[in-house]
Amino acid sequence: MKKGDVKVCILLIEGTNCEEETSHVFEELGASPERVHLNQLVRDVPPELKRSLEDYHVLVFPGGFSSGDYVRAGAIWAARLKSRLLQDLRTFASEGKAVVGICNGFQVLVELGFLPGIGGISEVPQAALATNDSAHYECRPTLLKFENRGLSQPLSRFHKDQTMLAPSAHTEGKFTFPQGDERRMLTALDRADQILFRYVDVEGEYAGYPWNPNGSIHNIAGICNPRGNVIGLMPHPERSFYRYLHPDWTRGGDGPDGDGRLFFESILDYVMENF
Amino acid sequence: MGEIYRREETPFPLYTIDLLEVSDDELLEASRELGLALNLEEMKRIQDYFRRAGRWPTDVELQSLGQAWSEHCCYKSSKYFLREFIFGIESPQVLLKGDAGVVEFDEDHALALRIESHNHPSAVEPYGGAATGIGGILRDVLCMGAKPVALVDPLHFGRLDYAHEKLPKGVKHPLYLFQGVVAGIRDYGNRVGVPTVAGSIYFDDGYVSNIIVNVGCVGIARKDRILRNAVQGPHDVFILAGGRTGRDGIHGVTFASLELTDEMWEEWRAGAVQLGDPIMKEPLMHACLEAADRGLLDGMKDLGGGGLSCVVGEMALAGGYGAEVQLDRVPLKEEELSPWEIWVSESQERMMLAVSQDRVDEVLEIFELFDVPATPIGRVIEERVSRVFYRGHRVLEMDLEFYTRGPEYCRPFISYRDMEEPKEVVPSKPEDYGKVILDLLSSPNIASKELVIRQYDHEVRASTVVKPMQGILGKECHGDATVLKPLTTSWRGLAIATASTPQYARLHPFRGGASAVDEVCRNLVSVGARPLALSDCLNFGNPEKPDRLGCFRDAVRGLGYVASTLELPIPSGNVSFYNETPASPVPPTPVVLGTGIVPDIRRCITSDLKAEGSNIYLLGRTKAEMGGSEYYGMMGGEGGEVPDVDAARLKASVEGLLRAMESGLVRSCHDLSHGGLAVALAEMCMGGDMGAEVRLDSGSLRPDIFLFAESNTRWLLEVVRGGEGRVERTLQGLPLTRIGEVVGSDLAVRIGGSSLVLALEEMREAWSSALPRLVIG
Repeated sequence: MKKGDVKVCILLIEGTNCEEETSHVFEELGASPERVHLNQLVRDVPPELKRSLEDYHVLVFPGGFSSGDYVRAGAIWAARLKSRLLQDLRTFASEGKAVVGICNGFQVLVELGFLPGIGGISEVPQAALATNDSAHYECRPTLLKFENRGLSQPLSRFHKDQTMLAPSAHTEGKFTFPQGDERRMLTALDRADQILFRYVDVEGEYAGYPWNPNGSIHNIAGICNPRGNVIGLMPHPERSFYRYLHPDWTRGGDGPDGDGRLFFESILDYVMENF
Repeated sequence: MGEIYRREETPFPLYTIDLLEVSDDELLEASRELGLALNLEEMKRIQDYFRRAGRWPTDVELQSLGQAWSEHCCYKSSKYFLREFIFGIESPQVLLKGDAGVVEFDEDHALALRIESHNHPSAVEPYGGAATGIGGILRDVLCMGAKPVALVDPLHFGRLDYAHEKLPKGVKHPLYLFQGVVAGIRDYGNRVGVPTVAGSIYFDDGYVSNIIVNVGCVGIARKDRILRNAVQGPHDVFILAGGRTGRDGIHGVTFASLELTDEMWEEWRAGAVQLGDPIMKEPLMHACLEAADRGLLDGMKDLGGGGLSCVVGEMALAGGYGAEVQLDRVPLKEEELSPWEIWVSESQERMMLAVSQDRVDEVLEIFELFDVPATPIGRVIEERVSRVFYRGHRVLEMDLEFYTRGPEYCRPFISYRDMEEPKEVVPSKPEDYGKVILDLLSSPNIASKELVIRQYDHEVRASTVVKPMQGILGKECHGDATVLKPLTTSWRGLAIATASTPQYARLHPFRGGASAVDEVCRNLVSVGARPLALSDCLNFGNPEKPDRLGCFRDAVRGLGYVASTLELPIPSGNVSFYNETPASPVPPTPVVLGTGIVPDIRRCITSDLKAEGSNIYLLGRTKAEMGGSEYYGMMGGEGGEVPDVDAARLKASVEGLLRAMESGLVRSCHDLSHGGLAVALAEMCMGGDMGAEVRLDSGSLRPDIFLFAESNTRWLLEVVRGGEGRVERTLQGLPLTRIGEVVGSDLAVRIGGSSLVLALEEMREAWSSALPRLVIG
């Protein structure tokens, strides 16, 4: 498939607020992104506005505060998806197409049971993105080390241990497992090669706050499903797509590309090779 | 209610009020009973109008006039002075003045900018007050057809460690107010997806009883999609879009046009503060912009102070027409609202659209997709009259000229020049300058605000290319201005900064006003931006008191003096009076939002030191101007000369500095403000995690005065080694001194026979731990 034929669905509801920049990076890379309101998939709308999930190759849940995140981050959007679109979403993921959740999108995928999805898509969430240890919103640069040993095909252009700068901006980003079950779940996640990114400091070492901005277990910043095609992460690679979006770019650096660019390039490459 | 009130025989509550034959005392009594906050002169004007009309006014009519003629809505006490000093600043870049000012960004795009206050609501209910402040300023920008791309919020509180037992009755503790306001801005701004990129936090006990919460917004639009806040003709329909209307926010503007007394704290709390809903606002913005982008709107205006009662008349009159409204079509939050309550409610998240009859369906379809209610509630009429119907009954009919054009006053004022000047008390020379620097770095007005800055999403929209915190990862320090790249198709940058100068304005209002413009220009130029346009928010006491009004007038004069010399237009702004309690007014607080243009963001400069071996220069003249300085505040100094502004020199410095920056030889730049030269140097070192060696000649000044004076129009520059000659030539004619170089990991200063050495870690500890210690403990 040619790049221009890769159709990317940037899904949104009220309170989603990163759809523009997320759409922009796909456009910049030559793909065909479209911002689609959930109503266009599930409701009676004029025919020219009606969309169908099966027409896309990549589905992105962008960042924001869907429906205000008032119950629990991502919970309301996930509930709405479950009631109206669950079968389409299952089909989409089962075909190996790429599903990407960034920040609020990650929270939605966890609430939906798609992530971590140990033993398959779960009825109830297997993990949670809990309130940050600081108890408030954290908007700060974070560094992620790529830890995947090869499972996640859409991110195969990352090298093991490569670091990526991607800003974090969230209140509920502390990746946690049910109390008492943390060790077992973490081991399962690691064995299955479902860990994608972990927070590190400038030296590349696993570190506490503020480098781990939320207190996530095992410094986990991003994970994938057992098949590797459903990806979720708290930090925003679209916010480091260009070099000039890095917080320290005025100190010098090489080239116009930011660290986040590879994340999206890799996903597009995967789709072009496989569809 | 007294005998002048008559309940009409309507199936809903409607009163008429006999104002025709009553005494002056009764007029005033009616103003008070109905919560109109109108004075005798104004009540008599109303009496005259209805005598001529030959009938009693309805409660809906009187409430409407209370809104329309409030200080908040019609600027009756300030307009005279604003016209004298500010409105006249001409600039070809100003495209339109409305709820926000519109200026040119590039050939095809324009910016909309405005800053306003939300002081009274935030003092009563800090979380909701601040949140709805953000909501309101977003709508002001949105209604020009512009997409909001940045928020700013200069805040002023009492000191966070203020003794509880000293708090006046009914007043909430500064720490509670601070936390509430920050959380309100955070939770609303972050949710709505507009980055909060600049602002300031200033602590002074003058704000214990009255906090000052200002919020500003900048938006961008295609020039051909800019909208007026007006109807276009009799074919227009009024569509009310967004949230439902309820009892929240009734009398918000009249509340804001009074001094706060202790009974008012509780009395007003229930009704006068609105409830914000960012998750209604976010899709509302999308839908409005989509409709504007498709060219479907004839005009747009937000519902803010006074609600429907102000917006309908103002839009109609601005277009030269009148309006007819069916009030029962307004979607309500709760049943049983009286018509006057619906008409004046300030419920949030509402916009009024003027849409040509033949495009109404298309517009409604857009709103439906976004799940945002939108309802046609009225139409434009040829007659310049406002008529409102409720369940078939006419409840309001007034000439728009009378109704909407409020009164205007030139009230008596006393200039500061006629007031007694405080005597200067010069503190004794300290033993250890190093210790003074550390104390200043940990003083609340200078210490790191990272704890707050990072609670705001300053990066959403992925266009913040120069962040509010600048420097090495994990060691960032405050920058002077933030830069956005608002268009994906252009390298052109939008720089944003704020300045607020109560510390000077309280001693010398004229210089306070002038310094605010100087500071905002310094901030913008520091990142490599040419100042483009300003918006001002002027927070003062009761204008009916001549000394308060004199302060205001002088501050406006100061703003106007510098802005006009620099040909910097101020196409929008806000005046907030009555920031006082029976005990005292707030320090006069002029606040300025500045926007600037960076031709290419790849040339932006930040405040952190970049390279060992670079030269450090001081640009500008340091004088014994200690009045209002942080140093005097900390050391027990009093009075003193307040920093003056030589606007011509500011203009020359701005031009010179921008030229020097174009050469690419300036690696970092930082303006000198709170704490003067010493603090600016320390901040540049901390951000770059690099030391500096500096040798200073204080000339005739005492060394401590030279280190800590806050004279205006000064910057520190880091110049690439080998670039000295060219930079010195470019800045020829301006006071420029090479003071040292970037070296090592200490700040080492030699001045007048003494010297000091401070390690980076020592400075960072003092600077970064102060605010968390006060807030978290």
